[in-house]
Amino acid sequence: MATNIPANLKYTKEHEWTLIDGDTLTIGITDFAQSALGDIVFVEVPEVGSDLKIGSTFGVVESIKSVSDLYAPVTGEVIAKNSEIESSPEKINEDAYGSWLIKVKIKNSSEIENLLSAEQYQEFCNSSH
Amino acid sequence: MSQLFRTHLYDEHVKLGGKITPFAGWEMPVQYTSVKEEVLAVRKSVGVFDVSHMGEFFIEGKDAEAFADYLVTNDVLNAPMGKAIYSPLCREDGTVVDDLIVYKLLPGKVMICVNASNISKDFNWIKSKHAGFDCTLKDNSSEFSLLALQGPKTFEILKPLLNELPDLEYFSVFQTTFGVHSVILARTGYTGEDGFEIFATHLAITELWQKLMIAGVTPCGLAARDVLRLEVCYPLYGHELNDEVNPYDAGLGWTVKLQKTKFIGKDTLASKPAKYKLVKLVLDRGIPREGYPVLNAQGEMIGHVTSGTMSVITNKGICFARIQIDKVPSNEVFMIDIRNKTYPAQLTKKPFVTGGHK
Repeated sequence: MATNIPANLKYTKEHEWTLIDGDTLTIGITDFAQSALGDIVFVEVPEVGSDLKIGSTFGVVESIKSVSDLYAPVTGEVIAKNSEIESSPEKINEDAYGSWLIKVKIKNSSEIENLLSAEQYQEFCNSSH
Repeated sequence: MSQLFRTHLYDEHVKLGGKITPFAGWEMPVQYTSVKEEVLAVRKSVGVFDVSHMGEFFIEGKDAEAFADYLVTNDVLNAPMGKAIYSPLCREDGTVVDDLIVYKLLPGKVMICVNASNISKDFNWIKSKHAGFDCTLKDNSSEFSLLALQGPKTFEILKPLLNELPDLEYFSVFQTTFGVHSVILARTGYTGEDGFEIFATHLAITELWQKLMIAGVTPCGLAARDVLRLEVCYPLYGHELNDEVNPYDAGLGWTVKLQKTKFIGKDTLASKPAKYKLVKLVLDRGIPREGYPVLNAQGEMIGHVTSGTMSVITNKGICFARIQIDKVPSNEVFMIDIRNKTYPAQLTKKPFVTGGHK
């Protein structure tokens, strides 16, 4: 399956993309994820100031037919959320990488090392589907 | 896992990019492009569903109508010839074996269309009640394919393809031909829109499907079908209906014709025994899903969501919920627990969306 996987981003096995900028991590869902979900109609993300723990669920993305949990790629504090996406979730279908969900202040920089490169994520997508 | 069946249009679905999913023992297309686009095609124009997985039984002979009438709670006997009658099929204790449509094809000839997941359960049940009626009973499900052509433009799309297409009344049935093939046409469907369900041989349906694609009809999957039926508040077996509830529990009291002299379940259903009330709820925020708890104003759990989705037409969360009859709140305040947060839900008496059917 051909998917759009930008080389400048890091990824998770939960089909999230991340952009590392100093100690800030911007998080969204990948093009592969939006395509698998179909029409996205609801997004719920935590309030600014919430603490995330790596691996725990922090929100949901819902399509008409299904609910998908979002998993924290790192431990840290939510420093921004994209309110525009909450009111217009269909933007994720239009531009998955332009539709960030939250920004997190990274607590343990070592956790970043576990994120997948574009190449590794591509391989993961190929092997799991 | 047992072998999944495929309809005769399986290759067509794959060719069109349909996402295939197991459903009731069949590999069915759940969506082609987008659920939203498919729902809108049916509401505004015309879409087609392959529902060949559904079952077709035929009852023929002198007592065909009397037998069908005895099996179901709705009135088959007094309905005019050529009518289609929606009804639950109940046990003696009033619980629902299935919901189905009885088609009065000809004097002494009745077709029953049943849910795919219940074909063998229904047939065995009906067979066990057959004794004493002068008619034959056959399960012809494997010989039929079935298309549901639905939407306001159905008639204009279908007319040039068929040798004859009268402007049938809603919920009526007619036998005609498509080329050399004989087809059964019913002005029925599961979307609330005008439309026809077309029963014919696999060969005829494959030809018709291809003609419909050339004519620009949107192929629609089961996901869109589920949204469409929920928007207009049609129940679905396995959700609003099951082996434990009776028609009154599912808001189908209108289909129980107690004035009929006899039918299976009449003695029990005569007292209108409801353990539940099926309600329709709308949410301004949040999407209700099957199984979510429904609470009253005090936060006490009073029932569950049986089917829920986001309405494509109203852009709101909509659902059916089964509420314990003694806990239906008189103040009509309902809340839905979505991932441990409560969301207010408004009770509505009318369907979420009004379909355009005749």
